[in-house]
Amino acid sequence: MRSRDPYRSSHQLPTYSALRWYWVEHAAWDVIDSQRDPIPESGSTGGRRAAGTMFEKSLYDLIKGLRNHKGGEDEYVQDCLRECKAEIKSQDMDKKATALLKLIYLEMFGYDMSWASFHVLEVMSSSKYLQKRVGYLGAVQSFRPDTEVLMLATNMLKKDIVSPSIPSLSLPLVTLPHIITPSLAMSLLPDILSRLSHSNAVVRKKTIVCLYRLALVYPEALKLAWPKIKDRLMDDQEDSSVTTAAINVVCELGWRRPHDFLPLAPRFFELLVDSGNNWMAIKIIKLFATLTPLEPRLTRKLLRPLMNIIETTTAMSLLYECINGIIQGGILDGEDNLQERDDVATLCVGKLRGMIVMDSDPNLKYVALLALNRIVTTHPMLVSMQQDVIMDCLDDADISIRLQALELAAGMVASDTLQPVVNRLLDQLRLATLSSPISGSEPEVFPSAQFETEDTEGRKTSGSSTIALVVLPNDYRGEVVHRILDICSQNNYSEVVDFEWYLGTLVQLVRLLPPSETEEHWIQSSSTQEATLHSKTSVAFRIGSEIRNVAVRVKGVRLEATRAAESLILIDNRSTFFPAGCNVGNDVLGPISWVVGEYADDLLSPGQTLQSLIDLSNVSLPAKTLQLFLQAIPKVFVRVYRSNGLGDSWSSETSLLLARVVGFLEALAAHPDLDVQERAIEFLELLRLSAEALHPDTREMPFLLASVLPGLFMGLELNPVATSAQKKVVLPPTLHLDVAFNEDLLGLFHTLDNSHFDGSQYDALQDFYYYPGLDPPPPSKPFPSLAPIEMPFESSYQNILTDSSDPPGATERRKVERRERYKDDPFYIAPLESSSGALMSPLLNPASGDALDVDSIPIVDLKLEDGQSGRLEQDASGVRRGRSKKMEVTADETFGIEETPPHDSLACLPGGPTGSKRSLLQVDSSGLGREAVLAEDDGEVEMRKAMQNVEQMRLRMQRASERIQLQGTPAEGTLVKKKGKKKHTPVPPQAVGLAAGDYLQPAETKKRKKKQKKQKQQKEDSVELSGEQ
Amino acid sequence: MINAVLVFNNNGQPRLTKFYTTLDTQTQQSLIAQIYHLVAQRPSSACNFLPLPPLLSQGAASSTGPSDAPTQITYRTYATLSFIMISTSTESPLALIDLIQVFVEALDRMFENVCELDLIFGYETMHAVLSEMIVGGVVVETNIERIIAGVRSQEGTSGKRKAVQAASASLGRGAMPGLGAWR
Repeated sequence: MRSRDPYRSSHQLPTYSALRWYWVEHAAWDVIDSQRDPIPESGSTGGRRAAGTMFEKSLYDLIKGLRNHKGGEDEYVQDCLRECKAEIKSQDMDKKATALLKLIYLEMFGYDMSWASFHVLEVMSSSKYLQKRVGYLGAVQSFRPDTEVLMLATNMLKKDIVSPSIPSLSLPLVTLPHIITPSLAMSLLPDILSRLSHSNAVVRKKTIVCLYRLALVYPEALKLAWPKIKDRLMDDQEDSSVTTAAINVVCELGWRRPHDFLPLAPRFFELLVDSGNNWMAIKIIKLFATLTPLEPRLTRKLLRPLMNIIETTTAMSLLYECINGIIQGGILDGEDNLQERDDVATLCVGKLRGMIVMDSDPNLKYVALLALNRIVTTHPMLVSMQQDVIMDCLDDADISIRLQALELAAGMVASDTLQPVVNRLLDQLRLATLSSPISGSEPEVFPSAQFETEDTEGRKTSGSSTIALVVLPNDYRGEVVHRILDICSQNNYSEVVDFEWYLGTLVQLVRLLPPSETEEHWIQSSSTQEATLHSKTSVAFRIGSEIRNVAVRVKGVRLEATRAAESLILIDNRSTFFPAGCNVGNDVLGPISWVVGEYADDLLSPGQTLQSLIDLSNVSLPAKTLQLFLQAIPKVFVRVYRSNGLGDSWSSETSLLLARVVGFLEALAAHPDLDVQERAIEFLELLRLSAEALHPDTREMPFLLASVLPGLFMGLELNPVATSAQKKVVLPPTLHLDVAFNEDLLGLFHTLDNSHFDGSQYDALQDFYYYPGLDPPPPSKPFPSLAPIEMPFESSYQNILTDSSDPPGATERRKVERRERYKDDPFYIAPLESSSGALMSPLLNPASGDALDVDSIPIVDLKLEDGQSGRLEQDASGVRRGRSKKMEVTADETFGIEETPPHDSLACLPGGPTGSKRSLLQVDSSGLGREAVLAEDDGEVEMRKAMQNVEQMRLRMQRASERIQLQGTPAEGTLVKKKGKKKHTPVPPQAVGLAAGDYLQPAETKKRKKKQKKQKQQKEDSVELSGEQ
Repeated sequence: MINAVLVFNNNGQPRLTKFYTTLDTQTQQSLIAQIYHLVAQRPSSACNFLPLPPLLSQGAASSTGPSDAPTQITYRTYATLSFIMISTSTESPLALIDLIQVFVEALDRMFENVCELDLIFGYETMHAVLSEMIVGGVVVETNIERIIAGVRSQEGTSGKRKAVQAASASLGRGAMPGLGAWR
């Protein structure tokens, strides 16, 4: 047993160490096992049961039997179930109850007992308490709302609810929450309501909770029950446990209908300050967290007592809930800048920091991070001041803590902290990959410790050496990868300064991808196949999409991005990136192949890339990837033969190349996926035509190859388009999407079905489909072996595989090269010596050039305005935040104003909430939210008064109209009625009191507490007395 | 509210299952299996909070505000047994750890030095203890004295006696109520 202290300075709990625990499972089993032989099973029936009748077991026998039939349990259980089926039909109530008890026990292991529901009722109706209890337990464990026999139970339940014996009376109260249906609730409500005034506190508290569950399925119940529950709550003399139960129920209801409970705030406040019961205080604070957003004045009232608790309490749970309540109640983010508010924020964060640093308790660490995660959305600055401790939590031994810290890290990164955080995570992944058994086969790949991981300050993260080698579960590793991508891609890459570094990171991530075998374990639970695909592909696919995104959006590093994609797609590298046996990486290939195709001009070795694309091993790739491959192949092909130049061997080289591409496409021409098949055949035909046009003796490029084929892909540049842009396209007025083309479509189909083909037609079709003039070659046909096209091999992304350490000057060199390349590119803003680097700084800084470069400035401005209309709005935030950007990041194109800025990669987020789908185990309390149940009773008195007023007014007017004989009376009558209705929700007197500030002051607390304690003691005594009776 | 209370041993065999919302038996079993899978992975030094298993995370709302969907799983392991509470965000995570503690201490008082075996044979009593503490997913009592008093009023002190006799009776079960205490 662990002897960690609980989180409550308990008023009630004895100290924990005083307990002695003996968990001696095995010893105890030995006792039983040793007795097995001396007790013959048949002897167990005792004298009462006639010899020769059916052999029956008690629960004890059943459990022991299960133990003795290790391995063959299922068979044994089936035997037992058969016996139980017979026994439960017996007339003997003892036998019936025993059988039921056994069934309940077996139900726990997943053996269905719904067939026995009628017998459960029989046992429930037993006159002996302990048998009755078994029956009720059976109902709790096995009844579902659709259990039919429930209707028969109504009368029996009615009888038991009013039973004079408290244990019997409690049974239906604790059972009803499990089995309640609207009709049952309706018929039992009066009886249960009467229990609220029972003399015993135990009954009252259980009744309150029972009524709450009744109200969930039958909201009308709350209307009747609430006034009485409120009485219990308001009653100072009430037993404290009843008050606590009422508070717990109100806390459950509170978030659904916070407005209804606002008038009770003074009472809650009183209980919070006076009760001294931490369990209840926690709930009250939770409740206040939902109330404060509605009533700003509450905030001021609560601040002092909450701070008081935070500073004085020794109960960690209460402390934590106070902080949590302050955060969730929005006390920190009010619009008026109170000095107190800042104090509270600092105090909270300070306490949370203390919870992380001071205590070695992982629970406190976890909840503190949880709370910080909530603060970070409103106070990122405050939280990022605690960066040091949060970063340490990233390396915590506990995965749960790490995940929380990860989320927090994602929430608080800024451009200056981004690289250290990501590098730290990368180190973690690298270590995990090192220590996982799969990587053992290829150790030489992994020592590539740092690939372009220099920080902005040039220091290297050195946290990795201190991390203990923890074997990280794969789903955690997947989560880390997701988070890295989230961190970097948020706000359209506004926090990424160095895109080359980012590309390097992405390429590394591909290699660090966790194997997918274990992921499948989780997938089997997801229902739809689409979801399965989604969750499986997401990590790898996202990395690919990121590379694609960078290539499309950041023109400055497009070359680098294309080269990175190229390095990943090369067939020679694939075995290194994606270790044999796991095909995780395959999803990366899809988006990457698009990059390779679209920006084929930037390829380092287009020939090799083309060969990798048309490698026959690709045929087995998933259809989704193949579709993209097919689209990329002709693009790269065009690039290859155009770059070859019109030399002597041009014609023969190209035709050879063409033959190989055709060969690959033919292999896909019969692909089961229709999309792949269609694309393959389209390009196949096109290339066959090209092959025909290509005569070996001509020295001129045929028209088809020279301009038709390239023309397919050249033209306008593809820019990122917002996902919502399509919806904003206005439909032309003549387009009617909902009008049917043919009213009699079904009829047409019908006649089509009826008309049979005659024989000759059929033969013609048969011939057409099955005897083609040209048989495609079998897909397995080996390619003519060609000498691979030799290309210089110097791309940095390939080098990392063989040579881990980047030459020190390489990055610099590349940067210089790139700067050179984009010198004149208006999209590329050259880095300035001054750190400001804002768009207008050349204008303002006379030292930057001998004269103002008049050309460069307007181009930038013009680009922002004319070319990409609509970009301004969306980009505004991105540009503003990334003031020190060197790179121009293209934002999504869209029309008008973007209400929800969607992001390409967001679509691939893991485990996106499935929206309306209900969670398991969820209680549906939405009924409470819909109906205005409580509003009436709070204003009941006012309502009655209002109605009286209306009536009086009406009478008066009637009299007046009778006197004056005016016509307009009826209209006025309704008007007054409306006025009366408005009185429905007047400011209740309590709320006024709240403003006046008649809360009890903490100073009075002690006196009251003592008094209450005394009362409590007395009450407890009486409870015990009544319990023993 | 508390959506479910589970107890299972180190081998994942359930010792108590109590679902405060209806769930068919098969799903109950797979949920238990998933949670056991999560618990079994965790070292003893880890914190007492579990991530949501796949069955529960499917429908979980993404917003931070309160909702009906269960969002937190608190567990605590004592010797051979793990106690699990699945709850919505209206429960305090730290308080739930204490609640488990109260539950176990109450069991300890009922059975006098409780062990797993006691809970196997005395599982009716275990249900009784739980129903004194939690009704319909709402905590009604946290005071051990009162919990014990409530259970005792139902069955006297027979709970412990039953389990002990079940485990150590040497004269056959003629002398043992064998959990059929009404005989």
